[in-house]
Amino acid sequence: MFLLSAPITALREVARGMRVISIEAPDIASTVRAGQFVNLGLPGAFLRRPFSVYRVEGDRIEVVLKAVGVGTAALLSMRPGDAISCLGPLGHGFDLASGPQSIVLVSGGLGVAPMPLAAREAKANGMRVTWVHGARSRDELCSEAVGDDVIWATDDGSRGFTGNAVAAAPDGDLVIACGPNRMLAAVAKRWPDAQVAVETYMGCGTGVCLGCAVPLSRGGYDRACKEGPVYRAAAVEWSILPAHLPYAITA
Amino acid sequence: MTVDMRVAVGAMELRGPVIAASGTFGYGTEVPLLERRALGGMISKGIFLRPRAGTPPPRIVETPSGMLNAIGLQGPGVDALIRDYAALWASWDFPVLVNINGESVSEYGDLAARLDGVPGVAGFEINISCPNVEQGGLYFGNDPRAAAAVTEAVRQHTNLPVWVKLTPMVTDIGVIARAVESAGADALCAVNTFVGMSIDLNANKPRLSFRTGGLSGPAIRPLALHLAHQAARAVRIPVVGVGGIMRTEDALEFLIAGCAAVQVGTATFVNPRAIAEIHDGIAAHLESRGLRSIADLPRYLPRD
Repeated sequence: MFLLSAPITALREVARGMRVISIEAPDIASTVRAGQFVNLGLPGAFLRRPFSVYRVEGDRIEVVLKAVGVGTAALLSMRPGDAISCLGPLGHGFDLASGPQSIVLVSGGLGVAPMPLAAREAKANGMRVTWVHGARSRDELCSEAVGDDVIWATDDGSRGFTGNAVAAAPDGDLVIACGPNRMLAAVAKRWPDAQVAVETYMGCGTGVCLGCAVPLSRGGYDRACKEGPVYRAAAVEWSILPAHLPYAITA
Repeated sequence: MTVDMRVAVGAMELRGPVIAASGTFGYGTEVPLLERRALGGMISKGIFLRPRAGTPPPRIVETPSGMLNAIGLQGPGVDALIRDYAALWASWDFPVLVNINGESVSEYGDLAARLDGVPGVAGFEINISCPNVEQGGLYFGNDPRAAAAVTEAVRQHTNLPVWVKLTPMVTDIGVIARAVESAGADALCAVNTFVGMSIDLNANKPRLSFRTGGLSGPAIRPLALHLAHQAARAVRIPVVGVGGIMRTEDALEFLIAGCAAVQVGTATFVNPRAIAEIHDGIAAHLESRGLRSIADLPRYLPRD
């Protein structure tokens, strides 16, 4: 785990309102695994905010975000050269060890976040990669989905399959998913053994505050920031995990 | 010049004035970026006799200059605490006090009896101020007789230092402070979180599943400072100041206002190095004023 004051090096738009920020964080870039995250200190916000690492390019890590509250809006207004406090890598990522012949990546909206790293790691471990990416409409689809096969899904049918990414996805030896918790609950029904990256509020990111509690189907809670954020889909008690996180702060 | 950073909290001597606050530091095993040399001591996450699952999510929400939490004292119970952590604590070069919680007066006494004499347990912080449990907690903290009864129950079972963490949710903290002092407390910790609430405008209901939560962070600092100062004026035993301390200057405010030491909590979430930075900052401040020790820091503490 590293705590860095890291300069932003670039920003780019990958869908309507969805942007990727590159951050120079060599210690994190060289150690992060797919599904792990960083906690960023955002101007105007009090607590850090968790972001899956989207891609790694040399010494730089990338995160993907939309403006959903004052903190993310402020982050998106930062410019190359501005420094940001970056804590990571945090959490327990996907298990993509060699063995499966094929992997299906299922992402909804900002759920693209951990997928490029996962696709790269799975490819390196000999898997055929199918990435199924869904959004409400074609202009909200992340343009950077890659794989041996890419399947698009839109709620309004403006591109690819009409419906959500779960419905559009084929089966595979291994399924991983990220997106709204409601979508992940549907993943759990279809593929109990899928690995899913959940979304929670988070306080510290380091395991001490117990704020990011994930309810387990065997009872009790554990921590998205430590044991998670990646879980076996059937291990999560989806009826208790909030389906919608209102991130906006009122002042 | 090397500044003498040692402080005494009653009979307990600490190598520095900055203590990790309960619930923000786990059991001390999961803060890899912290420089342990800077820790005067640590208060472990609050424990009950039995395991507790805690409250359903959402458990935390950010608010202006702070956060609300309703964790519900999730924990493994005292036997697992002793089994998994006490031996480790015994090997550390700073004291660990255990934050104890009960649903009844006798449960506090039972916890003290169970933990007294366990190597690694250097003392107790009685939590009579947790806003996030259905039974006990805050109830004991805003009734002077109940607060005294809990303190006596613990005192009867141990000669280790007994600190009592006070709630701010009272009309006169001096009344509770004096009641707890008379019941045998060695020190007071002032203050725990304030009870607060936040509404989700989309769902038209509270953001926290527990409805309310404890407010911490810089939002409460001036309130906490005033209450710690009021408590310190009311009693002769030392007061450990806690509430919204983020930086060196904040800690110095509490020390000057009459506190013997400080606890740093929520700041650790934001900055895992906060405790070390505050410890070093206090030393630098003293040195810049030509002061050789914390004892030489001027205090503002007119007595009641």
